[in-house]
Order: sequence, then C-alpha cells, then structure tokens
Amino acid sequence: MAPILAARGVSKSFFGNPVLRDVSIALQPGRVHALLGENGAGKSTLINLLSGALRPDGGTIEVDGRAVSRMNPAIARQAGIAVVQQELSLTASLSIAENIGLGAYPRRFGLVDYNELAARARAACNLVGLHEPLSTPVGHLSLGRRQMVEIAKALYRRPRVLILDEPTSSLSATETKILTDLLERLRGEGIAILYISHRLNEVMTLCQHVTVLKDGTCTADRSLEGTDAAGLVRLMVGRDPGDLFPRWQPSASPANAISVRSFSAGLMRDVDLDIRRGEVIGIGGLVGQGQEDLLLGLYGAIPARTASATVNGVSGLPGGVPKANALGLAYVPADRKREGLHLIHPIITNMMLPAFARLPALKLRSRRAERETATGLAAQLGIKGDLARPAQALSGGNQQKVALAKWMPHDPLVLLLNDPTRGVDVETKREIYHMLRNFAAAGKAVVLLSSDTPELVHLCDRVAVVREGRIVAMLERGALSEEAIVSAAMGAEQRKVAA
Amino acid sequence: MNTPLSATQGRALYWPIQMRRNVGVRSLFAVVLVFLVAYGLLFPGLFTASGFAKFTQSWFPLALVAMAQAILMLTGGISLAIGATVSLGAVIAATTMAGPLGVAGGCVAVALTGLGIGAATGFIVVRLRLPAIVVTLAGSFIIGGAALLILPRPGGAVPAWLSDLLAGNTPAAFVLLVLIVALWKLYLATPLGLSLYAAGENPVGAYRSGVPVDGARIAAYAISGLLSTGAGLFVAAQTGSGDPVIGAAFTLNSIAAAVLGGIGFLGGQGTMRGALAGSLLLSLMISVMFFLGFTPVAQYVAQGLIIIGAVAIPQFRKVQQ
Repeated sequence: MAPILAARGVSKSFFGNPVLRDVSIALQPGRVHALLGENGAGKSTLINLLSGALRPDGGTIEVDGRAVSRMNPAIARQAGIAVVQQELSLTASLSIAENIGLGAYPRRFGLVDYNELAARARAACNLVGLHEPLSTPVGHLSLGRRQMVEIAKALYRRPRVLILDEPTSSLSATETKILTDLLERLRGEGIAILYISHRLNEVMTLCQHVTVLKDGTCTADRSLEGTDAAGLVRLMVGRDPGDLFPRWQPSASPANAISVRSFSAGLMRDVDLDIRRGEVIGIGGLVGQGQEDLLLGLYGAIPARTASATVNGVSGLPGGVPKANALGLAYVPADRKREGLHLIHPIITNMMLPAFARLPALKLRSRRAERETATGLAAQLGIKGDLARPAQALSGGNQQKVALAKWMPHDPLVLLLNDPTRGVDVETKREIYHMLRNFAAAGKAVVLLSSDTPELVHLCDRVAVVREGRIVAMLERGALSEEAIVSAAMGAEQRKVAA
Repeated sequence: MNTPLSATQGRALYWPIQMRRNVGVRSLFAVVLVFLVAYGLLFPGLFTASGFAKFTQSWFPLALVAMAQAILMLTGGISLAIGATVSLGAVIAATTMAGPLGVAGGCVAVALTGLGIGAATGFIVVRLRLPAIVVTLAGSFIIGGAALLILPRPGGAVPAWLSDLLAGNTPAAFVLLVLIVALWKLYLATPLGLSLYAAGENPVGAYRSGVPVDGARIAAYAISGLLSTGAGLFVAAQTGSGDPVIGAAFTLNSIAAAVLGGIGFLGGQGTMRGALAGSLLLSLMISVMFFLGFTPVAQYVAQGLIIIGAVAIPQFRKVQQ
C-alpha cells in the first residue's frame, strides 16, 4: 500500500548545526506509527517538515507518492494533514467552537455559519468526550481539556493523516483512555497516525510500527511486534562518547556544600538532596519535569520552602539572588539569549556584570581593572577578538563561555548550570566539560542540569533523575548508564510489566 | 463522524457566546450606570431630547476613536497617530464639502483617506515587522503635518445643514453609533473579523490553523483609520469648520478609554462593548468633573489616576487568585 505521507532522505540544519540527517519515514493508512527519540533527537523538526512548517535542506516530502516541492502549512492542510502540536494553537478568549473551527469556518453569505459550526464542532467534541457547552471560552478550561479541544480541532478538519506530538502529557487517565480508544477507531477508518510519546507503555499498546531517531539519524524503522520496552530504550541511547569527556577521577569530599530536606519549589515537591563539595552532580529527566525549578529554588530566584537547609555552612535557603551570590552560588541559565547575556552590549560589559552588583553604591568603576580582568578571562576561555564587540557577535558556544565566565572572578563555591551545552558545538563542549571537572577538582560543587544524557553519564559523580516534580532515582557512579537514566526518566521499570 | 443536529442548536451557539463575553465587563457596566445616574442628577437636562442629543454628540467622537484604538489593541498593536488622523479627517471634510465635491464627495474623500492611511500603516507594521508604537508615532508627525499643509490655520467650512443634522438638536449621533456598532458585530461574525482575536493572542497558533494573520491585522489598521477620519468629519461638523490640530487630545484619550474598557495591551484581551463602555465612562467623568468645577489641570490629574487604577485593579485581582 502506498503511504499517504512520507519523507525520503530529508536533512535539516539550523545555523550550521545538522538536526536531521538523511531521515526517511512513511505513514501508511490504517496504521499508528510511533516516533521515538530523546530530547533533541530531531522529532519536532521532522514533524515540522512533514506538516510544511519547515522546508527540508535535502530530500523530499511526498504526499500520495508524489513529491511536493514547496510544501507549506496550507498545502499540508489541503492534503488532509493535521498536527496536534505540543504548544497549543488555541485562543483563550474565543469559545470552544470558535477555536475548533478557526481557520476553516463554514460560511454563509460571507459570515461564519454558526449553525453548521455548532453541528460540526459538536460532532468533533463528542469523539473526544468533550461535553462542556460549545460557548465556553477556552481560557476557562484546564490544560488537559484544552488538549482535547486541540485534538477535536484536528478532527474537525477530517484529516487523512493525524500527527500527535505528546498528546497525553497533560491528560488525565480517563482522557488518555478516551484518546487511545479514539485512535484505535480512526485507525480502523484508514487514517494514518503518527504518534509521539515519552510513555513507552502507551506506545507498546497503541502503535504497530516505530521509527527511532537518535542525534538526527534514524536508528530503527520497523514493526513493533516482538519488541520490548528495554529494546526501544537501547535504540534511543548509546553512542560513542569518544574523547569528548575528560577522564573521570573522584574528587568528592564528604562535606556538603548544600543540603536540603523536604524542599519544594515550583513543580518540585519534597526533595531531599545533599550536594557534596568536589562533585559534579547531574540532574536528569525528560524536559520540564521540574528540574529547572530545583535550580532556581536553590538560587533564590523563585519562592521555595524547605524543612531544613544548609548552604555553604549557613543554615536556611538564600531566599534571594544577591544573598545566594554572597553565599557563593552562581547560576548559568539555559536561555543565554534571554537570561544569561545582554546580547547587544559589549562582551566586556557582560563579563563584568555580576561585579557591578558588588560595587558599593557610590564607588566608581575602574575601566582599567575591568579590562585587565576581562582580558584574562578571555585568554583563559579562548575567546578571541575585540571585547568591545556586542555579545551577539559571538557564536553560540562562545556566548555560553561568556555566560559561564562572568561568574569566575567571584570564585563561586557552587555552580548551578542549566543545560550549559545545549546548541553548543563539540569543541566548546569539550572545553566546558574540562572546566567543570577542574572546578570540581578544586573542591567546589557543580550542579549540572542537562538534557544530554551522555554528558550526565560521563561527567557526573551522581545523577538525580527527576520525573513529575520528584527525584525518582539517585544513580551513583557505578550504576550510571544512559539506559538507567532513560528508564528512570520514563518510568520504564514499572511499565515493563504493564507492557 | 457528522451527527446531524437541528438548526436550533446553532442559534443556541451564537447568543450564548455573546452572553459569555459580557461576563468580564459586568462590573464596568455597573460603574458606567452609577456615573450616568450621577450625571443625570447633576444635569437633569440629560433626559430631554436636546440634552440627550448634546450628550451623545460629546461622546460620539470619543466612542469612535476608542473603537479605532481597541481594534488595534486586540491585534496586539497600538496607534499613537489617532489624534493626527482625526485632525486630517476634519481638515479634509472642511476643505472638500463646500467645494465641487459636495458633501457626498467629501465623505468619500474622508473615508478613502482613513482607509488608505490605516492600510499603509498596517502594511508597514505587519509586513515589515516594525514596532507599531514607533511607526504610528512617526506616522502622527506625517499625518499631522499633512493636515497643517492642507489647512495651515483653522478654516474651511462644513455646510450648515450637515452641522445641524449631525450636531444640532437631533439624535443623529446616537443613531450613527448604533449603526456603526451593528456593522462591527457583522464584521466580527465574518471569518476575518473573528480571527482578529486569534491573530492578536496567539499569532503562531493562528497561522498554523490557517488564519490569514497578516491580512487580519492589516484590515484592522484600515478599519481603525476609517473610524478615526470619520470621527474627524464629525468634529468638523460640530465646529462648522476645520482645525488642523483639533484631534490632538484623542490619541491618549482613545488609549485611556480602551484601557478603562478592559482591553489588554498584549492582544486578544477584551471586547468592543468594553471599549465603548470605557469611552462612555471617560466622557461622563470629564463632564461630571466639569460640573463639579474641577479646573482643567485637576481634571487631567484625576483622569490619569483613574486610568492607572483601571489597569491596576484587574492585576491585583489576578495576584490574589
């Protein structure tokens, strides 16, 4: 049978970083096709190529066996391709019905035909078990219900291909059951379904075929029959670390830099955690499980509660960023463009910024001293060229180095790092890894939140795996492996039984 | 997949949606009612035919510019050129209507100018992706300059019969306002009009859903320009002549009225009925303060404080939740 929608050998790069390399996928009618891969493996990019939101650098997208050279969202819609994105496309101030029909309203005399809209929106809502009045503004619904509206919106257009990007992450158990039953039915009607999920047991029960992406390449494209969850996890991880990582040597001391009990902040609940001096402790897990809140809570950037806490010998949480800095904590955010750097300002100003906070109110800056410190830092980090250039002139990797470097003159005791190597080239990664190990060897603590599993395995003394706001596993050096981290992150242990 | 439903269920969709939109503005309506009663007590003439006519005439231009501003704010934009556009509308009305074009030709000229200026502004903001606040600030100098070039000092004329019709002892202003509101409801019932909200609140999602986001926003700018020059025409009829700087106060008052009416700055938040109620409230406040003998300076201070309060109250409510 010919696939309704297919990608043939597609490639895509962003800013010279290859995200997909020679990937093929074919969506057959009447089949639920799973797309698996770790964070950053290229799943979202592949979906965007299939739905016309992006155009491939190489390879072709085919609809009904014919190559479409200039795919865009309008062509995709006409071809019957509907996507349920992770970020919702809804408008809070419009009603359920108006959202479902958005972009494809039935018309009568040039006006929206509310009769027809009501009938068709109701039919779509019934399919997904939405029984709220159609006039309810979407802003009044819970996140799970909004997700169901989003799915109803896709069904309203009577798709032939339905792409669902982690549809169940915000759904309750009942809603998930409704959705899986619905997908079974749609499959029976001959619709091709592409299903992205991090919940392996769902994939095992619902899907017939799987494509696995790893680092932008396809590592498996086969029937799910006779595959088990552990096998899938193996296909998603495991690559050659090469000589990217410095040799690991124990440097942890028994003394704690930070110790918290029953710590809660943001999504994180009841965390007990000891961070030792001289160690690199990893924070792993799927994106958005509360890891960032853990760092921000410790740093005092968001409100946090705790039963007891000791930070560098002082009891109690810092409770505010200046206090945290005074206690020797430094935080490097993930989004360096928005939080870490002031891109339009010179590199030197960026490097000196934390120092300004330490100046007494009336003391003047010494340009000469600043220049000397900054030049020293730049030499240490291998940042070349004029430091008076704006920070945005630097490559992503070098920007990250500046974001790290600005804390160094303050000799922090604890570095809180939020995904420091995301979007950074390999060479800079290597330099950052060496920096972090040296930092730990000097008796300081590094807390490394990372979405890059190999980095956690090869760089860290211990890894805390976070799922749904809790630390679900604390893996010691001996037990560290990518399989162990991914299994814990997905809760695969319990689910192997279920599958 | 499609269960046939009776037509009554469709009609049972449009009106409940409209009723839902009242929820957010109920307290505002109550405040407006209180001010109306207070105004009626201070100025009992409000309930006579001529008192009603005079009151609606003083409110009418503010109502139009509040709508003009609210449309843009719903799309996530803003305009600082509304006052200048009102002036230009007044000047064009006063220079064309007494000439060979006549009243009808003058109205067409005013309307085309408004639509053209609005569409051009919208095109620059939306297609070139420039910040609306800067483009319209620059636009206010260009448009205001054009008004001064056409009519360097107050002059021109609007035929007396038109002044009498619009600003005399008739409820024409009120009738026109009802008509404009009805046209707005009609526009909001078209796919393009309804997608204003989606284009303002979640442009990426709207684009992915197939909404012509750019088109909806440019159309909003064009309608906004039309309403602004229309307000100018009315002001010219009120004064009987054209004044090239008469609209200056409308820029900030239009923003004030929209904000009082619960229109948010982030796009997609608020309703037109809210903006209209906001303009009525502002108009009432100005009149009440006048009757209470506030000096003009004190009026401005009070107006400013009330507007800050209007923005702050919903924020405090949100924090408390």
